[in-house]
Amino acid sequence: MKNCLRTLRAERSWSQADLAEKLGVSRQTVNAIETGRFDPSLPLAFKLSKLFALPIETIFSD
Amino acid sequence: MPLCNKNLTPLQRRSMRLIGGVLLLTVLTNLSTPNLPNLFFDMFPGLAHFVSSHLDAHSGHYSVLLVGLLAALSVLPALLAVWVAARYLKAEPDEFIRSLVVRALLWGFAVTMVGDAIAGVLMASYSRPFPISLLNADLFFASTGIAFRLVLRSYR
Repeated sequence: MKNCLRTLRAERSWSQADLAEKLGVSRQTVNAIETGRFDPSLPLAFKLSKLFALPIETIFSD
Repeated sequence: MPLCNKNLTPLQRRSMRLIGGVLLLTVLTNLSTPNLPNLFFDMFPGLAHFVSSHLDAHSGHYSVLLVGLLAALSVLPALLAVWVAARYLKAEPDEFIRSLVVRALLWGFAVTMVGDAIAGVLMASYSRPFPISLLNADLFFASTGIAFRLVLRSYR
């Protein structure tokens, strides 16, 4: 699954550690999601959606 | 370095401490067999002699109760490790780290089973006993630890 997490994060000048702290996960988790090597669960996807104020389908795509 | 000691969450630190305790117990349960590698025997050479002279399974001085007690004692590290892992996985809020730990545990099981299988073939081929089953816990902990590092490295 592809995502635009890196772009969204860069737009807000957040580091991976900043985003990880806001989500309550480790920096490794953010890195793995950004690189597309780990697909987040629905609760984490909803957290991202809420944090960026965007629908899930805008952040993630096939 | 990711996930080094200072980056561990309180839950991870507590679980590591518990696993450390289980590891120590594993080494202690190895005391029941003086032929196995044991840190305490290396530190105190007299201890190996004491154990082998007092608890020699082949001398016939073992009581059924003592044999049963030692057998039950060797099960403790495995049961405690399962308890610690289950407790950690239940409480870990980070799903990615949870998946890494599960994968590392599976690799640990795989390596332990491969070790058992190879030892079984060697024992059958050379008709020579080797107490691999007593070292299962040691092998499992070591391989799980290494597997966790490798799996984490693969995501860099």
